[in-house]
Amino acid sequence: MRASTRTARRTVVLAAVATLGAGLLAGCADDSGGKSDSSGGGSKGKTTITLGLFGTQGFKEAGLYTEYEKLHPDIKIQENVVERNEVYYPALVNHLTTNSGLQDIQAIEVGNIAEATQTFASKFVDFSKVAGVNKSDWLDWKWQQATTKDGQTIGLGTDIGPMAICYRKDLFQQAGLPTDRDKVGQLWAGDWNKLVTAGESYKKKAPKGTYFMDSPGGLLNAMISSNQDKFYDSSGKVIYKTNPAIKSSFNLTAKAASEGLTQPQTQFQPAWNSTIANSKFAAIACPPWMLGYLKGQSKPDAAGKWDVAAAPKAGNWGGTFLAVPKSGKNVTEAEKLAQWLTAPAQLAKLFSVQGSFPSTPGSYTMPLVTDAKNAMTADAPIGKIFADAAKAIPTQVIGPKDQIVQQGLTDNGVILVTKGKSAAEAWATATKTIDNNLEK
Amino acid sequence: MATRHDIAAPPAKEGGAAPARPPAKPTEAERRRRARLSRRWQRDLKWSPYGFISPFFLLFVAFGLFPLIYTAWASLHTVELTAPNDMQWAGLHNYTRIFDDEFFWNAARNTLTIGIISTVPQLAMAMGLAHILNYRLRASTFYRVIMLAPYATSIAAASLVFVLLFGRDYGMINWALHYVGVGKIDWQNDKWPSQIAVSTIIIWRWTGYNALIYLAAMQAIPTDLYESAALDGANRWRQFIHVTLPQLRPTILFTCVVSTIGASQVFGEPLIFDANKGASGGAEHQFQTLGLYLYEQGWVNMHLGRASAIAWTMFLILIVIGVVNYVISRRLRASS
Amino acid sequence: MTTTLTTPVGTAPKESRRQRRSKAARAGGTLHAGPIAYAVLIIFSIGSLFPLVWTAIAASRDNNRLAQTPPPFWFGGNLFHNMNVAWNEANLGKAFVNTTIVAGTSALTVVFLSTIAGFAFAKLRFRGRNILMLMVIGTMMVPPQLSVIPLYMMVAKLNWADQLQAVVFPSLVSAFGVFFMRQYLLQALPDELIEAARVDGASSWRVVWHIVFPAARPAMAVLGMLMFVQSWNDFLWPFLVLTQNGNPTVQVALAGLGRGYTPDQSLIMGGALLGTLPLLLVFAIFGKQIVGGIMQGAVKG
Repeated sequence: MRASTRTARRTVVLAAVATLGAGLLAGCADDSGGKSDSSGGGSKGKTTITLGLFGTQGFKEAGLYTEYEKLHPDIKIQENVVERNEVYYPALVNHLTTNSGLQDIQAIEVGNIAEATQTFASKFVDFSKVAGVNKSDWLDWKWQQATTKDGQTIGLGTDIGPMAICYRKDLFQQAGLPTDRDKVGQLWAGDWNKLVTAGESYKKKAPKGTYFMDSPGGLLNAMISSNQDKFYDSSGKVIYKTNPAIKSSFNLTAKAASEGLTQPQTQFQPAWNSTIANSKFAAIACPPWMLGYLKGQSKPDAAGKWDVAAAPKAGNWGGTFLAVPKSGKNVTEAEKLAQWLTAPAQLAKLFSVQGSFPSTPGSYTMPLVTDAKNAMTADAPIGKIFADAAKAIPTQVIGPKDQIVQQGLTDNGVILVTKGKSAAEAWATATKTIDNNLEK
Repeated sequence: MATRHDIAAPPAKEGGAAPARPPAKPTEAERRRRARLSRRWQRDLKWSPYGFISPFFLLFVAFGLFPLIYTAWASLHTVELTAPNDMQWAGLHNYTRIFDDEFFWNAARNTLTIGIISTVPQLAMAMGLAHILNYRLRASTFYRVIMLAPYATSIAAASLVFVLLFGRDYGMINWALHYVGVGKIDWQNDKWPSQIAVSTIIIWRWTGYNALIYLAAMQAIPTDLYESAALDGANRWRQFIHVTLPQLRPTILFTCVVSTIGASQVFGEPLIFDANKGASGGAEHQFQTLGLYLYEQGWVNMHLGRASAIAWTMFLILIVIGVVNYVISRRLRASS
Repeated sequence: MTTTLTTPVGTAPKESRRQRRSKAARAGGTLHAGPIAYAVLIIFSIGSLFPLVWTAIAASRDNNRLAQTPPPFWFGGNLFHNMNVAWNEANLGKAFVNTTIVAGTSALTVVFLSTIAGFAFAKLRFRGRNILMLMVIGTMMVPPQLSVIPLYMMVAKLNWADQLQAVVFPSLVSAFGVFFMRQYLLQALPDELIEAARVDGASSWRVVWHIVFPAARPAMAVLGMLMFVQSWNDFLWPFLVLTQNGNPTVQVALAGLGRGYTPDQSLIMGGALLGTLPLLLVFAIFGKQIVGGIMQGAVKG
């Protein structure tokens, strides 16, 4: 008995020492090994370029890496992906402030680009000075988003989210609304109030259990994005409370919510997914990537039942930039890859594969875009519809904390109206939350 | 196994206590050797404790101390995560502003209620479970594996499951309640339901963890204590109260302290329950705990200085609770 | 009230009545569990396992089916496909090796250091013992969410980005472990045993090796399991330090499965399931260690 426990103990100890030793040795020995892998000169004289991305890019899925590697046999591409930008961005900030752990190319979401331009411009390559980069290749408002006051452009635009209104033809028909996309667009052209009016008519004869729109947040978002000014003025001051456009959008959405025109839920949650699957709403503020969501969550019989009409006013929701940190080991190669990935041909290919709309007007005339179709919207010429919307988007003034303000207005604001609060109460809660979050 | 000695023999000689015959007069060398051994002995007694605790403290000084000092320093400044080197002196401003911060106090109240709802049942159930697992069981290894399964389940999977369970329109709990006649509960949006839901997730995740700790401690209770209690006529319940619980007191103290600290810092469970992008703990902050508020200010809003002050205030609150506890228990002991 | 007499199968039938009675009189370790106990255990097991089982069910479906209501309650056919894709896409082989090294080193070191420190705090007398113990507990009271920021600054200075030691070393500090072992040894390590060893002339180190470790075995097994899981499931810090193409741990590698505008939930669940299976294996192995310590027989007249 004693002997066996002593041997057992000895074995455990030996195993422990072995693992400890292996662990510490592996840790220390990896010093050179790990570095060389990620910094070029890794495998057989190839240069490895790394990309840090958050979940929406689709470069790998579209086969773009393989294509580029074929064109440049001495390059190997690897990516480091995490799904949510809320996880990606704080990590990126930490990497930038310590100049450590950065990838060769880092994606930046449009909600963070203002902060990146204002705080981190010195850490990124200025693309306006890079040979071969033509500012006019991109939509002007998109280029501006990544440009500092003194003309430094830190990121090249990949996709954008020009919004239209996607609607269910069958539900509209049952409620007595027109189903032809031009006629639908006419219902509310130029004025968000008219959209709400259309919603009221929908409600009168709506199929039971359905709502006009999917959420108050989506509606508010679409309205706010279509304005010239948003939450900041050109001097960088926060003006969201005094900007009449914001207040009126909020009140209009609150009105729609209190009248029961919007499903009382927040977007991108399992419950929201279920309402898509069960056809619980008739319209939704729809950037091209929303079609992907609709497709992913819908039952097969929903295919072809959607159509796309122009929004009252065009706005942008979403979008990414590719930036190259100056401190990387392969800056020149990274610049070239970023340029290639954001070239019109490649962005058009991305659109055809996963619905990310190009920010390069050059793509709009390419067949991949003009002939693009989506299973949910059957024959609708989505390429043209979204291209028209993209060109009509105003150049907005963006600010570093746009996302915080917006989240406050939707998640802590209009959603409360669906819980029975008045618009004034919801506004008070939203502004209190936002002000507290903005206060340094 | 070490043999037991009822008599304290002089420790100078290795390996034996029973003196065979009176020792011969020690030689000079022998005396010096004994003196050297006794000195080594005393040195060992005096310094070995420090030797045993120093690896922990060395590692702590290396990897635990700097973060604490840094956050304390940052709490005295206005500083953002995007520019941590750009610190502007703010003195105690970050601390005094907490008095007026209604979100802080809302989070504090929520932490208290969620803490009580989740900790008390959890520890009681853990104790019961450990007691059951202490019996001879069939498939005991299986149950021991199960116990830690919640703790091992990844956050991603757990969050998906619980949000599905607690959904208002399509959740499984509401579907089940529907059959009992209870109407739809808005778990994510109403105050008490959301707190109960978050507490449920916490209980689910940590009960097995604590049960395992209790079980380990129960293994060390000598069976003869139970024997004598049984011979005295105690049934299983009385044995539990009079043998198990007193023996387990150090471990119970441990779980209470650690659970209190854990309850005050909880942020993972409310974070996953609120699938919104921010960390506001629900539209009206109805289940935002202090830990989640800290996370929101630090990681979402990037206010490093403010968040550090919140963290250290949470520390101070725990100190106050500890001191109050200590004073009360001393008073109780003094008066009894 | 008498306890029921249960004779374990296969033992020698010729015990005296007194021996049999005393055996039956023991609560705890040797009595069999009654039906109520089993009922409680089964209910508890269902509750504990249900999310894990649902993960497996979700992993065996496809994304479209998962979005529908009611959600699936039984397995589909996609399980192996999803697990296979998850394994390859997330490069889980490498991640498993890395995480085993990290979690194993962390668990073993923490257990070892906590046991000796816990022993010192529990049973040895030295100046500053109480103050230092309070300090140890005090360090647990500061919420850890922000610590990663200065810690990352340190790691950057040390050039440890994307190295495993950046994940291992900070995890070796465990006030929880020290406190846990102290409380356990207070209860489980009788002073007489230490006295006896001292009387035999054992140095402190010998006491630790021959008395403390065997006595602490159940607690060491539990602490090891808890530390292993904690290290295995840790996401925030490893994600900050490691990259998926460098030296990822399991959670970092799995994060990469969430690609695209509509991430494939079934694939993510498949990865999550794969990531959890090794833990269950570890539990099965270590669970056997949670048996009575050898101490049970030691202090007898």
